[in-house]
Amino acid sequence: MTSTETIRAIQENIARVIKGKPHVIEMSLVALLARGHLLLEDVPGVGKTTLAHSLARSLDCSFKRIQFTSDLLPSDIVGVSIFNRQKQAFEFIPGPIFANIVLADEINRTTPKTQSSLLEAMSEAQISFDNKTYPLNPPFMVIATQNPAEYHGTFPLPESQLDRFLMRLRIGYPAPEEEKKVLERASSLHPAEELLPLLTASEVVQLQDQVDKVFMEESLTEYLLSIVRSTRQSELLSLGVSTRGALALSRAAKALALVRGRSYCLPDDVKELAPIVLSHRIMVARQAGLHQRSFEQAERIIRDLVDTIPVPV
Amino acid sequence: MPLSQALHLTSMLLASASFIGLTLGAGLPEWLAVLTGATLIAVLLRNMGLTSVDHITTQMPVSSIGWNLIVLGGFVGFWIDLLWVSGELLPAGLHFLMILMIIKLFNLRLRRDYLHLYAISLVAMLASGSLTTELWFFPIFAVYLVAGVWTLLLFQLTKTAEASGDAWMPAPARLRQESYQGNDRISPRIFWMANGLAFGAFLFTVAIFFTIPRVNAGIYQKGFGENIRTTGFSDKVNLGAIGSIKHDPSVVMRVELLGTPRQAARPLYIRGVSFDRYDGKVWTNQLSYRRSFIEESPGTFGFRGKRGVVRSDSGDAIRQKILLEPLDTPVLFAAPFIERVTGAFPSLFFDPAGAVYLPFPSSSRIEYTVVSRSNTLASADLGTGPGHYPDWVVRHYLQLPGQSHRINALAGDLTQGRHTPYEQAAAIQTYLTQNYRYSLDAPLAAQDQPLEEFLFVRKTGYCEHYATAMVIMLRTVGIPARLVTGFLATEWNDYGSYYVVRQQDAHAWVEVYLPHSGWMSMDPTPAEDNRGSGGKVWQVFGPIMDNIRLQWNRLFVQYSAADQLAVVRELKAEGMSVRNKALDTVTALFGTFLAVMGGIVTHDVSQIRIGLLGEIVGFVLAGFAVLFWLGWGRLREGWSLWKTDDGSELAITQLYRRMRTYLSGQGFSRSAAIAPLELVEITRTGWREAHTAVAAITELYCRTRFGHRPLTQEDVRHAEDQLRRLLELRKPRV
Repeated sequence: MTSTETIRAIQENIARVIKGKPHVIEMSLVALLARGHLLLEDVPGVGKTTLAHSLARSLDCSFKRIQFTSDLLPSDIVGVSIFNRQKQAFEFIPGPIFANIVLADEINRTTPKTQSSLLEAMSEAQISFDNKTYPLNPPFMVIATQNPAEYHGTFPLPESQLDRFLMRLRIGYPAPEEEKKVLERASSLHPAEELLPLLTASEVVQLQDQVDKVFMEESLTEYLLSIVRSTRQSELLSLGVSTRGALALSRAAKALALVRGRSYCLPDDVKELAPIVLSHRIMVARQAGLHQRSFEQAERIIRDLVDTIPVPV
Repeated sequence: MPLSQALHLTSMLLASASFIGLTLGAGLPEWLAVLTGATLIAVLLRNMGLTSVDHITTQMPVSSIGWNLIVLGGFVGFWIDLLWVSGELLPAGLHFLMILMIIKLFNLRLRRDYLHLYAISLVAMLASGSLTTELWFFPIFAVYLVAGVWTLLLFQLTKTAEASGDAWMPAPARLRQESYQGNDRISPRIFWMANGLAFGAFLFTVAIFFTIPRVNAGIYQKGFGENIRTTGFSDKVNLGAIGSIKHDPSVVMRVELLGTPRQAARPLYIRGVSFDRYDGKVWTNQLSYRRSFIEESPGTFGFRGKRGVVRSDSGDAIRQKILLEPLDTPVLFAAPFIERVTGAFPSLFFDPAGAVYLPFPSSSRIEYTVVSRSNTLASADLGTGPGHYPDWVVRHYLQLPGQSHRINALAGDLTQGRHTPYEQAAAIQTYLTQNYRYSLDAPLAAQDQPLEEFLFVRKTGYCEHYATAMVIMLRTVGIPARLVTGFLATEWNDYGSYYVVRQQDAHAWVEVYLPHSGWMSMDPTPAEDNRGSGGKVWQVFGPIMDNIRLQWNRLFVQYSAADQLAVVRELKAEGMSVRNKALDTVTALFGTFLAVMGGIVTHDVSQIRIGLLGEIVGFVLAGFAVLFWLGWGRLREGWSLWKTDDGSELAITQLYRRMRTYLSGQGFSRSAAIAPLELVEITRTGWREAHTAVAAITELYCRTRFGHRPLTQEDVRHAEDQLRRLLELRKPRV
């Protein structure tokens, strides 16, 4: 099976569970292949958890779920040291972060302290505890879900942490007929449990390595950078996209090209990804909108900016 | 005008310009010139859509093999031409080139053919450029330049295939049904861009002109090496020789007087060589051994020390600037007597009789400046005091060809009662002027005693006869005299303030040695009848044209390495003082402003003036800067396309661009921010008929442009087909 076929098979696999959302499935695969982390932001009950679950099930990877609550402590994520009487030494008990795919459910319900304990794991793919470093096994991907910021009882994610997510996605309500199919499902089992794994962890790593080989033409890089620069110069934004953001967009575009069966990027890849890769990395200027983190507004501003930048011909 | 038709037109113009250039420069045989001209006109008419011509030219019963045979025949003809007819490589090659052009003109089908035509035109233009330094080349070159820019531009715009090179080219007559319409017309933007480019090229040429060293002769110029044939300026001259060129109106030099205002209508004597010995038929110059001038400073040569020809208290200096045509004599002409010569000569020589020589006859026009000083009549020579002649004068200038009693008697009669040499000479001059009739119809050279024949039998003759008679009679009565040949400049050009000297102005006169004054010029020849040349129109425009020709030679053809150095020097000086000058300018402007405010307008504006040369160079540089600024983006873009070193990428990108232009003309993809696949999607929903073509072209384009996968010939052809299909579609009116 070629990589293109494999990727298509996984998409179809997940699509059996998440009905009518091929775009979201594709993007979550892009995040996985780009070695990125995914932030799903939406109202409760539209399938955020199910998406993460299905993705993990489709890959033969370990999967852990952390339900973030307001009283969750960092050690609940990273792990704890316990004194072992027999060995007369402290022993590190790994927390749920030691898995290939970690679902951080409702991440904005917990305190910033606990949220930032995810930070090192997400950027370095390792955990430091008691002066010791514990590497995480690749592939490692955090899929975080959060309720929109304006809902009650939430702690907004710190900027530094938001920047570490490759992309922010919305799932949205399914179309009526798709919703109907969901309801008609007869099984009592969680739908994701029915899925069979299609890829091993090492095969996922191989696919991730292939992303690095996807070719991005020079003029396309310039196109990408001019998008990034435009966010820094825009009057509507008080904070533009960082270099890490530009890197993320480039990586994501390459992954998307691979997912779509190409070994080279197109302007379309960059253009399509720009809103979902960049919108959570910017801050909307105060005068431009009421809600500084309003999802829709940030996405629209990015989209408008992209529409002013000529595509290389 | 549709682009393809415009391209055809400019191509014809290009070919015509080079053809005219070659015809005027190289002198093609008449049949070839007529044939090429007729072909050009026929093809041009075909472009205009005359179907009858179209019928003739396209229905020519010649297959492609036939054409190949004709080319072969032309090649054989070239060898025959080379070996037997013209016997030289250059003319034979040029004839063959014209034949090739004719054949190409009949075979303009593929784009490749057009390229061949351009190559032929370029070679023809280069040839005619090196064949001539004439003024007419300038307008033709300008036409060629503009046509060339237009052609290349249109060629690029109509390009549908770069890689294959033999893409389909519509027959000109069917262009009206051609689908290449839509946006493919010459918009004002394209128009100005093309002319701007031509202007830029012209600026570039000007810059090159001022910076690249050059020779000031058309190396293969028609008649190169065949200098104007003169007579009367060698060591030996047959009596009557000058008469043979008295009908030749070709210009031999132009003389500008510097410093001295020209006295109205006063003829100027231009001295060449003098002769001391006459044997009854032939004048010879016995004092012909030459010594080299002393170069006082680089390019300036002056007599120094004993000169023997000019006295110290002589008359006013005459400064002349002379542009001498290539002549077959090394003699350097100037008003008598030469004191100092300035010009780009390696060395100069003079003989004891005052003639100045180049080392060898020049094969190109030369320009030089001369300071001359003629002797004035000393008052002592008017008195009765006895004269004394120096030994060398007596030794050389009293020789006689043998005693003739009749001449002796005549000379004796004429000088009867005159006591001073000057009076005697004047008497002889008056006698000759008044009693003999000027005529060029005197074939005296062949006779035994031409001088006696002139004096006593025919009593008609021309300058040489008069001058010889006077010299001999002077010598008979013991006055040293010699014959001088040169030119008598009478034709004054008012537009350029200079004398035009022609072959027919060749003249001979007399120099008499007076004991106190030295050598004095005297002319016994009576004024000629008015010689009218050309009609009234020529009398009005002739001088203007001649002046333009002089300026052309002076400013462009004669422009030399020395002038380039001068430019560099001036630029250097300008650079050093540029700050001061800027300050001066500001002060001056401000000063003017203040002066005007105060009601005083008498400000010296001349201080503001920066050298003209500096301004020209400044303009050229500024032009370059603007062009560079305008073109930089495109240059970079072009470079990024070219550097992949793959023609197919360029070709497919061109096709894609055309597609985009067309689609935006049809109302799709007006924004440049629309990505390729997005555009496919837009046509899928908005214009279903076009979708297949757009998808196919976009797919190939993306693969090559962003994936750097080379395309095959079939791919390119496929894309071309799709584009053609697309261009035939019309968007349904919604």
